[in-house]
Amino acid sequence: MPSWHSPLTNLLTLPFPITMQPLLHVRSLRPAVAADSATTLDLLITIAAPAIAPELEARPRPPLNLALVIDRSGSMSGTQLSYARKAARFLAGELTERDRLAIVTFDDEVEVLVPSQPVSNPQLFINAINTIDCGGTTALFDGWLAGAMQVANHLDPAALNRVLLLSDGGANVGVVDSTEIASKVAGLSQRGISTSAFGIGSGFDEDLMGAMAGAGDGTLAHIESPAQLADLYASELDGLVRTLGKKVSLGIRAKRDVQLLDVINDFKLSSAGNWQLPNLRHGQELTIAARFKLPPWQPNREIVSLRLAWNQTGGKERLSFVEHITLPVMAAVELEGMEPDLVVIEQFELLLANRERSRAIEELDRGNLRAARALLEAIDQRLSLLPQTEAIQRERLLLEEKKALLDQDRNLSRKRLRRESLRSSMSVWEPDTDSNEGVL
Amino acid sequence: MAQPPPISASADPGASEVLYGLEQLLAIAGEQLGEEISSRTVRLYATEGLIDRPGKDGRRAVYGQRHLLQLLLIRSLARRGLSLSAISPHVASSDQELEQQLQQLDDTSLGTASPSITTPTTNDALTYLQNLQSRSGTDVKTDPSPSLLPLLGSPLSSRSPSLRASRMASRSSASSSRWHRFSLAPGVELHLSESASIPPPGSRREAWLQRLIDRLREQLDHPD
Repeated sequence: MPSWHSPLTNLLTLPFPITMQPLLHVRSLRPAVAADSATTLDLLITIAAPAIAPELEARPRPPLNLALVIDRSGSMSGTQLSYARKAARFLAGELTERDRLAIVTFDDEVEVLVPSQPVSNPQLFINAINTIDCGGTTALFDGWLAGAMQVANHLDPAALNRVLLLSDGGANVGVVDSTEIASKVAGLSQRGISTSAFGIGSGFDEDLMGAMAGAGDGTLAHIESPAQLADLYASELDGLVRTLGKKVSLGIRAKRDVQLLDVINDFKLSSAGNWQLPNLRHGQELTIAARFKLPPWQPNREIVSLRLAWNQTGGKERLSFVEHITLPVMAAVELEGMEPDLVVIEQFELLLANRERSRAIEELDRGNLRAARALLEAIDQRLSLLPQTEAIQRERLLLEEKKALLDQDRNLSRKRLRRESLRSSMSVWEPDTDSNEGVL
Repeated sequence: MAQPPPISASADPGASEVLYGLEQLLAIAGEQLGEEISSRTVRLYATEGLIDRPGKDGRRAVYGQRHLLQLLLIRSLARRGLSLSAISPHVASSDQELEQQLQQLDDTSLGTASPSITTPTTNDALTYLQNLQSRSGTDVKTDPSPSLLPLLGSPLSSRSPSLRASRMASRSSASSSRWHRFSLAPGVELHLSESASIPPPGSRREAWLQRLIDRLREQLDHPD
C-alpha cells in the first residue's frame, strides 16, 4: 500500500473563523491616462487572500460536509475503479468525526452506499467503498442529485458543504443536457452547497464537467491517470479548509463616459451585473484583466470603482468593500513615451492565450484542424515576443504539447485545451509535477 | 408463545456452543438491539448471504453465537443507513473480528456520533433539490435508491429512539420494497413504504391520521 501521507494532517488545526480580508491591488499598463486624446486603459486587478496569520494557526478548521459521488458505469473499469476506491479510502481517512461524509455511486441507478454521517469510524466507509464495482450506463445527474441530497440533509452554514463528483463519462441517462445540469448546479450553489467536478480518463465530457464546476463554485479537475486521484483529493480538502470566501463577485462600475471593453477572464456575469469569481483561498491570488476606453480625461476624476463581495466561510452575512480608481492625467505624447508595465502585459497575454484555446476548441469541433493549429501557433508567436519569464516559457511548453497532441490524440488535446482555457475563470486543479502525466 | 429450551450442539462439528432456535435468536437479538426483529428479516439476510446458513437439528434450523453476532452487526450497520451490499463485507469476518466491530460501533453509538444534527429551520437547498427530484422524472429516478429514502428522516429519528425503532423495524421487514416521499412543507417530508397499508378514505383513515398526529405531537413535546 503506497503511503498517502498528505499535508492535510497538518491542516486539521487551521484557523476558523478567519477574519482577515482579501486585498485588492490594481496596476495599469501605463501609470496615467491621456488628457488630450482617448485612452485604451488596461487594468490588472489582483485579489489576494492573505496567508493565515500564525497566531490563528492553532484554531480548529471549519467542519466539512461532503458527499463523494462516484461513477461506477461500465466504462469506469478495472484499474480506474480500483484507484477510485483507493482514493476514496484516502479521503475517508483524512476526515475526522467533526466532518460528515456520504458515499454515493451511480451507473444507470443510484445507490447511497453510506448516507451522510460523521466520520467517527473511517473503517465503516472504507469497507463500503471496497464493495464498489462496475455497472451500466451513466445517470450522472441523478448521481449528483443524490449526493447533493446527502449534503443538504445536514446543511450547516458554518461548515463547507460540497459535492465531489468523479466521473469518466458523459451523462447518458436521465437529464443529459449540460446547460440544464449546470443551471441546476448553480441553483444549489446559490443555496450554500458547492460542487466540484473531477473527470477521469479519456472518456469524460470535459465541457459538462467544466460547466458543473463553474456553476458549482467548486474545483474542476481532469485526471488522466487515476494515480493522481489521491493528490487531487488532498488538494481539494486543503483548498476547502483554506477557503476564505465563497460566491465571490467583482462589480466593475465604469464611471460616466468610460466604457468597459473587455474582461479577458470570461467570467460568468451575474444577474446583478457582477463578475462571478472562483473561491478565495488563503495564500492564493486571483488575476483579472479588464480593458477600458476613456475619452480625453480630467485630473482627479474617478475612472472606475471596483466592488468585491464574498461570503465569509462560516459567516452568514455577505462582506464587501469598494475601491475607487483614479489615475494621473498627462499629454498623450508623454504617455506614449512611458515604459509599459511588463507584468501587466504578461498577465494580459496569458489570459488571452486561455481565451484563444476556447476558439481553437471551436475550430476542432468544426473539424477544422488546420485553423485550430493556426490559432495555437498565433498565440505562441505573440508569447515569443515577450520577455521569456518562467511563466511565459511554461505557457509556451503547454501550447507546444497541445499542438503535437492535435495529431496524436485529438480527444486528449481537446480535454487539455478545455482545462487550460478555464484557468482564467475558475479553480482548476493542476498536478504539482508533470511526472504523473501520461496514459492510463 | 413458550420458547423451546436451548439445544446443545451436535449438528455443528467441533462446536460445543449453545445453539438457539429462530425464536430465541430473534428474542435475544431483539433485546440487545432494542428493536423487534422478524423471522422474515433473518431469512432475507440468510438469502442475501449476510448470515451464514443455519445448522440443522432434525428438521429444525439452529443458530449459534456467530449467527447472533452477524445479526447484531447487520442491524447496527443498517441503522446507520448502510445498504445490504455495503454491509456484506463486514459480516464475512471471523467471529473475533465481528465482536471487535460490534464493540467499535458501541463506542461510537448513533447518539454520540451525531451530536449536533440541527436541521436549519429553513433549508432552501433541500427544498430546492426536492423540487428537482420530483421534476427529474416519474420512473426510477424519483426514487433513486431504496436505501436512501429511509435515511432522510434521520435528524428526527436520532432524537427519538422509539420512533427510530419502529421506523427501522418496518424497514427491515420490507427491505426490498420501495419508498415514496412527500414534501409536506419546506424542510418537512413524509416517507412511506410501498408496503405500508393506508386505510381507505372515511372514518378509519381519519382515525389513522389522528394517531399519526398524536404520535408526532408526542415526539415533539417529549423528544426523549
